[in-house]
Amino acid sequence: MAEIRNATGAWDELIDAEGTPRPAATELVAMLRALGDHELVARQDAADLAILTAGITFTVYSDGRGIDRAWPFDVVPRVIDANEWRRTDRGLTQRLRALNLFIDDLYNDQNVVRDGVFPADLLSGSVNFRPQCLGVRPAFGVWAHICGSDLVRDADGTMYVLEDNLRVPSGVSYMLENRHVAKRAFADLFERQSILPVDDYPEALGRLLRSIAPNGPDSDPTVVLLTPGIYNSAYFEHSFLAREIGIDLVEGRDLVVDDDDRMLMRTVAGLRPVDVVYRRIDDLFLDPEVFLPDSTLGVPGLMRAWRAGTVAIANAPGAGVADDKVVYAWVPDLIRYYLGEEPLLANVPTYRCYYPDERDHVLDHLDELVTKPANESGGYGILIGPRATAAELVERRHAIEADPRNWIAQPVVELSTAPTLCSGRLEPRHVDLRPFILSGESSYVTKGGLTRVALRAGSLVVNSSQGGGSKDTWIVDLDDPIPYWSNG
Amino acid sequence: MLLSRVAENLYWAARYLERAEDTARIVREHTNLIVDLPTRVAVTWEPLLAIIGSRHAFDSRFTTADERSIIRWLVAERDNAGSILCSIESARENLRSSREVMPSDVWQGVNDLYLFVAAHHGDGIARSSRSRFLERVIGDVLAVNGTLTSTMSRDEAFEFLRIGRNLERADMATRVLDVRAGSLMAAVAPEYEDVQWLSVLRSLSGQQMFRRTVRGPVSGESVLQFLLHDRDFPRSVRFTLEQVRRGLRALPRAAHAAETCERAVELLEQVPVTLTGTDLHHWVDELQLTIATVHGAMAETYFVSHTPVR
Repeated sequence: MAEIRNATGAWDELIDAEGTPRPAATELVAMLRALGDHELVARQDAADLAILTAGITFTVYSDGRGIDRAWPFDVVPRVIDANEWRRTDRGLTQRLRALNLFIDDLYNDQNVVRDGVFPADLLSGSVNFRPQCLGVRPAFGVWAHICGSDLVRDADGTMYVLEDNLRVPSGVSYMLENRHVAKRAFADLFERQSILPVDDYPEALGRLLRSIAPNGPDSDPTVVLLTPGIYNSAYFEHSFLAREIGIDLVEGRDLVVDDDDRMLMRTVAGLRPVDVVYRRIDDLFLDPEVFLPDSTLGVPGLMRAWRAGTVAIANAPGAGVADDKVVYAWVPDLIRYYLGEEPLLANVPTYRCYYPDERDHVLDHLDELVTKPANESGGYGILIGPRATAAELVERRHAIEADPRNWIAQPVVELSTAPTLCSGRLEPRHVDLRPFILSGESSYVTKGGLTRVALRAGSLVVNSSQGGGSKDTWIVDLDDPIPYWSNG
Repeated sequence: MLLSRVAENLYWAARYLERAEDTARIVREHTNLIVDLPTRVAVTWEPLLAIIGSRHAFDSRFTTADERSIIRWLVAERDNAGSILCSIESARENLRSSREVMPSDVWQGVNDLYLFVAAHHGDGIARSSRSRFLERVIGDVLAVNGTLTSTMSRDEAFEFLRIGRNLERADMATRVLDVRAGSLMAAVAPEYEDVQWLSVLRSLSGQQMFRRTVRGPVSGESVLQFLLHDRDFPRSVRFTLEQVRRGLRALPRAAHAAETCERAVELLEQVPVTLTGTDLHHWVDELQLTIATVHGAMAETYFVSHTPVR
């Protein structure tokens, strides 16, 4: 008999405060309790072994050397009700429509600036705005074809978007692999209830990539995935996706752009044209002719070919302009501006120090808020008010007063928890969720996404490079129960 | 259309896997031979170094060429790029960057073997656990080759694997012939001659097929005939070159490599099987050099990306 406990002050994804299973998690919780810790550990061990043998890895860096580590997976799934997911799906779709309209606008007419919705000086101060992309019109007006948005759930159960990753979001391969492993561990539960399948992602991605080919999807386009190479932390994923979609995995040195601005790849039969590049390299490394001149990862001339329209690139260069923290704060306004709709998914309330009234509020509540610099990523410069020293708060106040437009602030979000196997027993651990959204002529949202879990007690850090793990995410459709007799 | 870089990775992955398997076979057979023969028969461990061709590097690392040092060097030595440990590791690294072109079971098999070898390579050294270790290596590589044969489309990627595997196989076969057969030919009436010839066959996994094909007494002449010229045995030099030829026929721009392969076949046909030790050494040397030119042509045509922009 496994005991499932709650953490104080946090929403648990599987049980409520009294320990009663949430409706969509009823079957799972009953099974966890029936199996007991010992059997759960056995299933965890079997899962770990499967991951090791299948070579499901991620790369971490230590002493300047990349080390291939087995992917950390917690066998206990995280469950979301399909009805809630349908609403989330609509909210994410809406969000990406607005973000893509915004990016396309910024690189073309800039109506959003002219209409006073987005401040011009924020645009000129953005580190991810690429003037080299001005005037380009990609197919369907879509720049961010693949987005990974991070969702968190607060103590009251509300789901918030924490951030959008519009450059080279990763993790989807682990979502797919987690499902394979979880199916083995809980085969009986998959038979007994309707857990929405996630396996159609590679097919959807392949279709999207072919759809943006310069000569159309019916031209039998050559699609490639551009990776920085084997030492990149997400190399496993690059290889996985190339394999699943059936496209070539290329490195910069495999590609050339000729004098007619055509992109070609070096094959055993000689040079062959490339139509679509799914790039997993950051903007600045993409093309040494235009960006960092000493980048060896990219392809000289890539931007020439893209601007000439002979090759499509996903995500488009410059798409990252819409995923910094300043823009995040404007997303609700952008949804209203471009779509004339109210946002279906909540942003974490965000105060923009750019505006004097919001700045005053932030300065009055520094000790309660999380303050973040707008143009840093990876958690740099974040100050959590309730945990900060008096000196840190004073220093932060001066920093905000000196350069207000570079700062935003948010209330502390207490991430939800999910029961997680730690040292042989189930413990509540904080989780987030990264669904993936595909945008082209139409859009697609994964059924769930990658649930990341902070394995240390109380920790909110879910990154796999910093001791985070992952879980399979089950979207359970209670309206579509599988009859018991189908079990055989 | 297969990327040049991936073609090179596949070619080397196949060579490394084959090298690991062949080394395992040769070490296993040599261990059996030494255990079999009476101690007064002067068979040493040193021919192993001569076959694998790393004597110089070995000497700079070890002071005595005893069983333990030699086996460690060939099986589990990190400083020896041709050791079983390093070969499996290199095969895996090469496949890691070309996983998308092959069935996932192939990668899984190689990764599994890598994990085994990384954890247990010490077992390959002690006599008590040596054969079990070597047999796992041989068995796993055979399983990988079997998976390739039964699940992979005969596309360009497959042909690069085929060519890599067979060039390595040809190379190893000629090395075994050079060292083992050479020394047997050179000796006047060597003791236990039959046992030793059978051991040469077993080093290349050929004893049983030799018996079925030749049906006569084992002799230097019949063994050489079989291992060099037999058309049906998959580890004869003739057969491996035929496989390379077949692989090249399926590749674009293969004229140069095919021409070098034809030269190797022509040369092979001229190798007489009634030879004294020095003559054999001379012929086999020549053959090895010619086989090496096939590799050179492959590298020149497909691997070094000098393709000019049109």
